[in-house]
Amino acid sequence: MTDQWPRYEVFKQDRPDGPFRNVGSVHAPDAELALMNARDVFARRPSCVALWVVPDAVIVRRTAEEFAREKGGRDERETEDIIQYAVFSKQSQRQAMTYVDYVGELAARSPVEALHRATETFRESPGIVWWVCPASAIVPSDPDDLPGFAAATGKMFRMPNQYHTIFTMQKIRRGEEGDD
Amino acid sequence: MDDVMGQALADRLMVMGDDELILAHRNSEWAGHAPILEEDIAFANIALDEMGHASIWYGLRGELTGEDTDRLIFFRNPGQYRNVQLVELPKGDWAFSMVRQYLFDAAENIQLGYLKASAYRPLAEAAAKIATEEAYHLRHTGLWLRRLGLGTEESHARTQAALDSLWPYAQQLFMSLPDDTALFEAGIIPDAALLRREWEGKVRPILAECGLAISDGAMPRRDIPRTEHTEYLVALLSELQSVARLDPEAEW
Repeated sequence: MTDQWPRYEVFKQDRPDGPFRNVGSVHAPDAELALMNARDVFARRPSCVALWVVPDAVIVRRTAEEFAREKGGRDERETEDIIQYAVFSKQSQRQAMTYVDYVGELAARSPVEALHRATETFRESPGIVWWVCPASAIVPSDPDDLPGFAAATGKMFRMPNQYHTIFTMQKIRRGEEGDD
Repeated sequence: MDDVMGQALADRLMVMGDDELILAHRNSEWAGHAPILEEDIAFANIALDEMGHASIWYGLRGELTGEDTDRLIFFRNPGQYRNVQLVELPKGDWAFSMVRQYLFDAAENIQLGYLKASAYRPLAEAAAKIATEEAYHLRHTGLWLRRLGLGTEESHARTQAALDSLWPYAQQLFMSLPDDTALFEAGIIPDAALLRREWEGKVRPILAECGLAISDGAMPRRDIPRTEHTEYLVALLSELQSVARLDPEAEW
């Protein structure tokens, strides 16, 4: 038993037509508050035009290595109904922000089938990590939220390095305090 | 704008700035103490927004009076502050801070709606800018109010207790200053009585939906002027102003 609120993965779109990229997660009692928390944690400074939240519990993940190990041992007990799955993949280790991006949707009988079909369907984006979730589990922000996302990005703020603290402390240590 | 009108507007802007500044300070006391990390960040954001709004109102006042915002904030004594007592009360529990923020946000949203059409253009422009953030604040506190009011027995009891103590204080938000009439007649600010009616029309049904009751019997016995403060403002300002007053000439 845990007294923590459930975790929601957060996907952020930086510009219209840009990809929805996983930026991290928030805890929240429900999707509505998860979206609100996501706005505060991930969209206050960076550019953002839309957010998705997805309950962590419905996401199934595989790395490329896990796929390789599963070869031949694939779970064939796919008895569930065919539904649409959203597919996300991480394609690079090079950048500082190596998170999964939304790449599209496909129909499958189970998350595992969706994962295996994703690697074939989205062949042009060879993934290092794959996530799938029922497409219906994605809770998007409302288009009316847009002014709320834009409000904070247009605001002036100072980064810590703009205070010249290190430079000022060096001057003070050299006994040059107050010379400017 | 003539001198009399200018002074009346300067007085009104100080009221608006002081309400936001003191509320921002109270909200900032939750930093590191909110019930969950995400809410800690969100409420700190709201506190920063309110502080930014205070700075905008003081700035508009400064354009009329030539005063410097930092001097206004750090070198006025408690008796010179014009905020309502609602915002200076200690932060209380989470329900108390949420209910206070909700009642204040609801009033501010309605006021900003009118100020966007103010005949004093700088005020109208500032209101339009602030309104987007305030709409978000109201949504934030509205979502919380619902969950606290309809949540557990304990969350409901705490929220009801907060409303019981805050409702009478909230009435002070709608008290006119002596020279507000001239500003209203010039189309610069809305009528306070109208704001109060709209505010009640908005918050009463929402509070009821959240399972919360308003005890109308507990209204203040007299109108409290904005020159009167509780002892809590003295302690708050002594903390808020302590660093600036260590070296009044320091540049930041």
